[in-house]
Amino acid sequence: MNTHGFPAVEPMTVKDHSSADDQTLVRAAQRGNMAAFEELVARHRDKIYARAYSMMRNEEEAVDLSQEAWVKGWQRLRQFQGDSSFGTWMTRIVINLCLDQLRKHKRQRAESIEAMDEESGGVERQMPVVTVNPTAGLEQAELRQRIDRALGQLSYEHRTVLVLNEFEEMEYKEIARTMGCSIGTVMSRLFYARRKLAVLLADLKKRDSV
Amino acid sequence: MDYNAQLKLQSWLDGELPEAEASEITNWLTRDREAASLLEELRNTHNALAGFEATVRLPESREFFWSKVEREIQRLEAPAPKTARRSYLSLFRRFLVPASAVAAVLVAGLVLNRPTGLNGRSAVAEIETALADSGTFTYRDYSAGTTLVWLSYPADTEVAENDEMGTVE
Repeated sequence: MNTHGFPAVEPMTVKDHSSADDQTLVRAAQRGNMAAFEELVARHRDKIYARAYSMMRNEEEAVDLSQEAWVKGWQRLRQFQGDSSFGTWMTRIVINLCLDQLRKHKRQRAESIEAMDEESGGVERQMPVVTVNPTAGLEQAELRQRIDRALGQLSYEHRTVLVLNEFEEMEYKEIARTMGCSIGTVMSRLFYARRKLAVLLADLKKRDSV
Repeated sequence: MDYNAQLKLQSWLDGELPEAEASEITNWLTRDREAASLLEELRNTHNALAGFEATVRLPESREFFWSKVEREIQRLEAPAPKTARRSYLSLFRRFLVPASAVAAVLVAGLVLNRPTGLNGRSAVAEIETALADSGTFTYRDYSAGTTLVWLSYPADTEVAENDEMGTVE
């Protein structure tokens, strides 16, 4: 270990790590094997980037934050005890980095319209139920594009709750702890986010069919 | 359907409701079409999002992305000895510089408060005692420009010594 607490960097070896499982690679990386860590990055980089992109809605920022997450992952590798999978552990690192970044953004700009709606009585309660599935029969690429656009129209609080619940499969209490709010707030934000997303997807369907 | 009922429906969909309440929801859904429609909408949204992230790919090659990560790790590790040296330097600055300043002030104080002696023409008078003959005293007053030499014969000390020996010269 050096003075920063990083594992001392071992020189790259020609050993092929692609056949080793995550646990073996993590143990090797904890001993300072950079080649093993590179293999872990290669395996999980898309997932870590996808989580950052879902939360940030900005490709450049998502790349930067996922890179930062990998650097932090290397720095904190000694703390990883294997209580969860390595992928989950890394995902939590990138989520926390994204939340910090989003909070910084929020301080720099005014509250979003969605957030104001939520505060002023909950427009989602008056939204008509979308009875027809707005994504039925869509190609994968088209579906992705529409969800992408719809997610981009949610406020960061609503989108984050949705991402943590739908993609990270976090329970309400875990989301509340991560976001520093009550379980009730998590429930109402999640409900609003889902209802709003349904309306946005229905609108996109209508617009594209005209 | 009130807001709490709507949230309860969502909790049921997310598997967050206790079992006792969950069975109530099942019964309620069979009776209430509005609740069933809402549940369908929430399910559709949930299903639409499923697998969304699996389609997202990092827009950089493995080699390029890794080179950036590796470079950043090495950059953070490289300044470690520099930082250590800087910390010694900062300790030096933190303690030695104020200590040196205090010492300098003390030395300056001593120099300034020292009696200036003959050349300084101090107003303080000076008294000299010739140690070889402690019966002689010289008194100089520079401000008045006078010198007074006091001689005692025989010297007071000699008298005392002779008294102790029992002889008087």
